[in-house]
Amino acid sequence: MIIHSIFFYIFSIIAVFSAIMVTVSRNTVHSVFFLILDFITISCLFIMIGAEFIGMIMLIVYVGAVAVLFLFVVMMLNVSQQKNTWLSGEKNSNHIPIGLLISTIIFFELIIVAGGWKYKPELLKSFSSIGVDIDSTNTHEIGKVLYTDYIHLFQLSGMILLVAMIGAIVLTFRKREGIRRQSYFKQISRERKDGVELVDVEKNKGVNIDV
Amino acid sequence: MINLNFIYSELFLALSIMTLLIVGVFKKNSSILIYNLSIISLLICLALIFNFPINENVELFKNSYKIDYLSSFTKILLISSGVFVLFLSNKYVQIIDINKIEYPILVLSSILGMMVMVSSNDLILFYIGLELQSLSLYVLASFNRDNLLSSESGLKYFVLSALSSGLLLYGCSLIYGFSGSTNFFIIANNLTESSYGLTFGIVFILVGLAFKISAVPFHMWAPDVYQGSPTSVTAFFAILPKIAALTIFIRVLYVPFFNLINDWQMIIIFLSIASMLFGSIAAIGQSNLKRLIAYSSIGHMGYALAGLSTGTNQGIQSSITYITIYLFMNLAFFASILMLRRDDKYFENIEDLSGLSKHHPVLSFSFLIVLFSLAGIPPLAGFFAKFYIFTAVLEESMYFLAIVGLLSTVIAAYYYLRLIKIIYFDSEKEKYETNHNIGLKMSLLISTIFILFYFIYPSWLTEIIQNIIII
Repeated sequence: MIIHSIFFYIFSIIAVFSAIMVTVSRNTVHSVFFLILDFITISCLFIMIGAEFIGMIMLIVYVGAVAVLFLFVVMMLNVSQQKNTWLSGEKNSNHIPIGLLISTIIFFELIIVAGGWKYKPELLKSFSSIGVDIDSTNTHEIGKVLYTDYIHLFQLSGMILLVAMIGAIVLTFRKREGIRRQSYFKQISRERKDGVELVDVEKNKGVNIDV
Repeated sequence: MINLNFIYSELFLALSIMTLLIVGVFKKNSSILIYNLSIISLLICLALIFNFPINENVELFKNSYKIDYLSSFTKILLISSGVFVLFLSNKYVQIIDINKIEYPILVLSSILGMMVMVSSNDLILFYIGLELQSLSLYVLASFNRDNLLSSESGLKYFVLSALSSGLLLYGCSLIYGFSGSTNFFIIANNLTESSYGLTFGIVFILVGLAFKISAVPFHMWAPDVYQGSPTSVTAFFAILPKIAALTIFIRVLYVPFFNLINDWQMIIIFLSIASMLFGSIAAIGQSNLKRLIAYSSIGHMGYALAGLSTGTNQGIQSSITYITIYLFMNLAFFASILMLRRDDKYFENIEDLSGLSKHHPVLSFSFLIVLFSLAGIPPLAGFFAKFYIFTAVLEESMYFLAIVGLLSTVIAAYYYLRLIKIIYFDSEKEKYETNHNIGLKMSLLISTIFILFYFIYPSWLTEIIQNIIII
């Protein structure tokens, strides 16, 4: 129990600290780094209470997709003119120490959680505060209710995603003028008389250039 | 097996959204067709609600979806006002060139979200419905994307509304933590005495909801968004989300948290008093009609909340009556604004009304009726709406609230009457066009007749609404 609470407090402190750092740090890239740290720490917390499915989804969706996308966008936007000093600049980049620090923390967190999960499953599971059946996995349990009791919520979430897609298209799609599109139908239905014109050239007359 | 009969209208609406989307994408230049088809599908939805006995009281999906008299009545209100709004903005969307196929589809999906919202009996479902409606509204607000004001209003609404949704979710999580469930019935069973966590949760939920109906002090988005959005969308904003949010106010306050009435009653009274006073005072200096109606709707929401703060069935019924009459008044008002058109340009400033009565006696008369009714002058419908509210408030001997309400009615009467003075006594301007389409004329006619002749037989509405019994 004590080990469990020690881990819990370590993770919570890191989570709260990095959440604060996301908003406090002046450098946008650092903010995104801390955001990633925050997501990973929270997913570790989820895994500790026995909700491994949500934890892994957090890792895949938030860290793997959302945060990396953020990072790309921030770097692309070149927010504080740091592009030139990135890694190879003359000035020492200040991203490297922070990045190293955060990745070390993430590494140890993953060792704690994934190692504990793999080699000492009873340590984590016995203190699980979610009242689930130990024998069946989280994924199984979520699947059981998601398509039965919560089917209306599932479908409505689909509607929300549809509306989000429609909205994004409506607000950004512009029909551009003057674009030549390839039309197979037009190409195939072209006939000889559309493309070739036969001209009777009069013989022995030459061309009148003066006109 | 869940009895799907009761949610036929929602299912039909969801399916028609997808069908219309497919039709619109594959058929070129079909925006007018889609527009008309979505009006028809809303009418079919209305018929589907009437098809089943509406005084049935059932819970579906493990008690999370509630069909009762309140939800059926508000669904009828929502769909019919949706039909009216689409009708009256038919020509407008074509003239200002926002008539894309997505416009009516977003309106429909927003209505679907509201329908889910008004019959939700569970915090998760309530939130999902709320998001569905507001996500569509963000896009609708910035639909005229080439217009700077419209884009600004959409962005402003999106940022502020997302913030309020976050607060609302935080409140929901607190409630879930302290009561152990998201279902309204189970929350009501588990909550017997108040604790700080619960009070915080309720406060956060109320903040989120107050934002949606733009009650003071969460009103700051309303004037800008109302002014910036296309007028047809403003009409939608001013009517439908308010009905849905007021209904969910009733559901949240009176089902799960009724035991904690002492905790939330003061909050609602504060919101109500602040909205009534602010709505009537801040509207005085406005020069844009849409901004004016934004402040006016803030004030009107104050009156509706006053009815809710009583904690009695009579209070709820008076609020529902208020919002019903408010709906017709706003419809008439927006129909009148949309008639101010000259050379394919719409006018929305107060000075454009100057001397309207010389050239357009009928339009001016309907303006007169609407403005008198908004000010609450007997014997028009607006007077009865306020009358029911004050009766319910006085029954509970909340004299302070009633006195503030009456005072702010008097203040608000100033700017309504000023508009009438401008219409009837100021120097005349150029003539406006009169060739309006039939939908606009019919909407104005129906709503004005409702307002004008409500006093002849007022009990038909109150008798219907008397069946709404929550407590």
